[in-house]
Amino acid sequence: MQSFSFSSVPLEPERYHAAVEDPSAGGYASFEGWVRDHNEGRTVERLEYEAFESLAVKEGERIVAEAVAKFGVTRAACVHRVGSLAIGDLAVWVGVSSAHRGEAFAACRYIIDEVKHRVPIWKKEHYTDGDSGWVNCERCAAAAHDHEHEHEHSRGHEHAATAQHDYSRQIALPEVGRAGQAKLAAASVLVVGAGGLGVPVLQYLAAAGIGRIGIVDGDVIEASNLHRQPLYGIADVGRPKVAVAAERLRALNRDVRIETHETKATAANIDGLVKNYDLVVECTDNFRAKFLVSDAVVRALKPAVFASVHQYEGQVQVYRPLPHWPCLRCLWPEAPRDGMVGNCAEAGVLGPVPATLGALQAMQVLKRLLGLDAGEAPALVTVDLLSLETRRLIARRNPDCDHDRPGEPEPAAGRSAPLELEFATLAEAFESGLELVDIRETWERMHDPPGLQIPTHLPLSALVNGYLQFPTEGRYLIVCAHGVRSLSVAEQLRAQGLDEVYSLRGGLAALRS
Amino acid sequence: MNRIEIQYFAVLRERAGTGRETVETAAATAAELYDELATRHDFGLPRGMLRVAVNDEFADWSQPLAAGDRVVFIPPVAGG
Repeated sequence: MQSFSFSSVPLEPERYHAAVEDPSAGGYASFEGWVRDHNEGRTVERLEYEAFESLAVKEGERIVAEAVAKFGVTRAACVHRVGSLAIGDLAVWVGVSSAHRGEAFAACRYIIDEVKHRVPIWKKEHYTDGDSGWVNCERCAAAAHDHEHEHEHSRGHEHAATAQHDYSRQIALPEVGRAGQAKLAAASVLVVGAGGLGVPVLQYLAAAGIGRIGIVDGDVIEASNLHRQPLYGIADVGRPKVAVAAERLRALNRDVRIETHETKATAANIDGLVKNYDLVVECTDNFRAKFLVSDAVVRALKPAVFASVHQYEGQVQVYRPLPHWPCLRCLWPEAPRDGMVGNCAEAGVLGPVPATLGALQAMQVLKRLLGLDAGEAPALVTVDLLSLETRRLIARRNPDCDHDRPGEPEPAAGRSAPLELEFATLAEAFESGLELVDIRETWERMHDPPGLQIPTHLPLSALVNGYLQFPTEGRYLIVCAHGVRSLSVAEQLRAQGLDEVYSLRGGLAALRS
Repeated sequence: MNRIEIQYFAVLRERAGTGRETVETAAATAAELYDELATRHDFGLPRGMLRVAVNDEFADWSQPLAAGDRVVFIPPVAGG
């Protein structure tokens, strides 16, 4: 008898027993695989095994030889059924004899595990509802790297054009199952921001089979984004993030409906966006948007997952519309100003930091949609990627927070003069008669092309620390990289009584060179 | 004097030059402790912008401190 073989007739373990008998063996371990009546929640009536036999036998023999060498067992053998099998039929038999039982068990386990992964065997299940399907093709992934097997691999399978997204590895979790997968397929999630946090959130949610995903982002891809947003490539620079993200996500999973909203989140549009989705994931890089989203989900009674990063660390917070859950304002009653504490563009960040925090956000979304978060207390979770420490800080609703406040007007609204001005080029801005003040940090100015430099430089860090003071009179246009910090500074200066101070909308990034 | 274990996040960590330290302090409340450290490390961030957690729970600035407390100062973080 060969160490590995196929049988088209019912297996007879008693007969194979002789193949592993040996006077030096002190024990014998065996595994039998049986046809069961259900798989992934469906009732199975019978099934068929099909193998590419010449190749499968070679691979099977290799596995048995590996087991003998690896565990030092005496003899080992495996027989696999092909053809049509009924419930309860024996599908596979493995037998190992050895001087000692430990090695026998281990080798037996090794053989069955490796056979399932490496041997080209396909299983077609016939369900009680008359449907059938080829399943459990453990070999697909391995074969893609294996040129020797390409021919038979393609013979056995439907290929890319007709392939179905396979959720079996998440359905296999008892807490997920088919019912959980159906919940994900029925869910809709709005992702605000398609940057460092948004990219992993979008990828994992689309891959998990969320039924409908909305993406809100008004930015175009910049080369400096790619190190932390590898959903995009160098050829995508200059294209809108939402458009490229939608393309990539549709290619990843055709089951998911992707909706793009090429805009920044604003007080005017946020409620309309939020109301069309079950859950919101906040992935922007600025406080203005974070509080805008927090207020909107509180009003709309929707759950939300917030995260943010700073250099090597990050924070995650889940909001649920329950009476005792804190919103973002409960935690930060004085809404922080952008520019005071740095963002990725100014403070620097390594790609895996937002990737980790974004993956945590995606996980929180799946937990919420699958109901795996029962009993979870509201908390702010801090993650430090340098020390690999996480901390769960229990948070409570702030009784002083009005919590469900009405929408805040945009900061510019209701003022005599607009807070932001738009210019097409830096030259036009200089011609406006306003004095340009660059509040970027010194290192950010290093790569400015000659002729496009702004002589007046008051770095924000020096202003915040009080080393430098902003003049108390004059007409100024405050400039930074993206118009976030400059808007915050202009707002503060207006509040201090400087009437003719403006922020360059969109910052230097928005200018035509 | 109480011995307090302190952890800093984000900009506070940068300004302090360390993520954690243990101090002997006469500060009776979280607020007093922050003010003491803000002077020492030149934090430059007003207390109203930060949150403090004592023993893994967000606390009021008026929370009295006891020996062995673990105090975390957390600035809001916006990056993404």
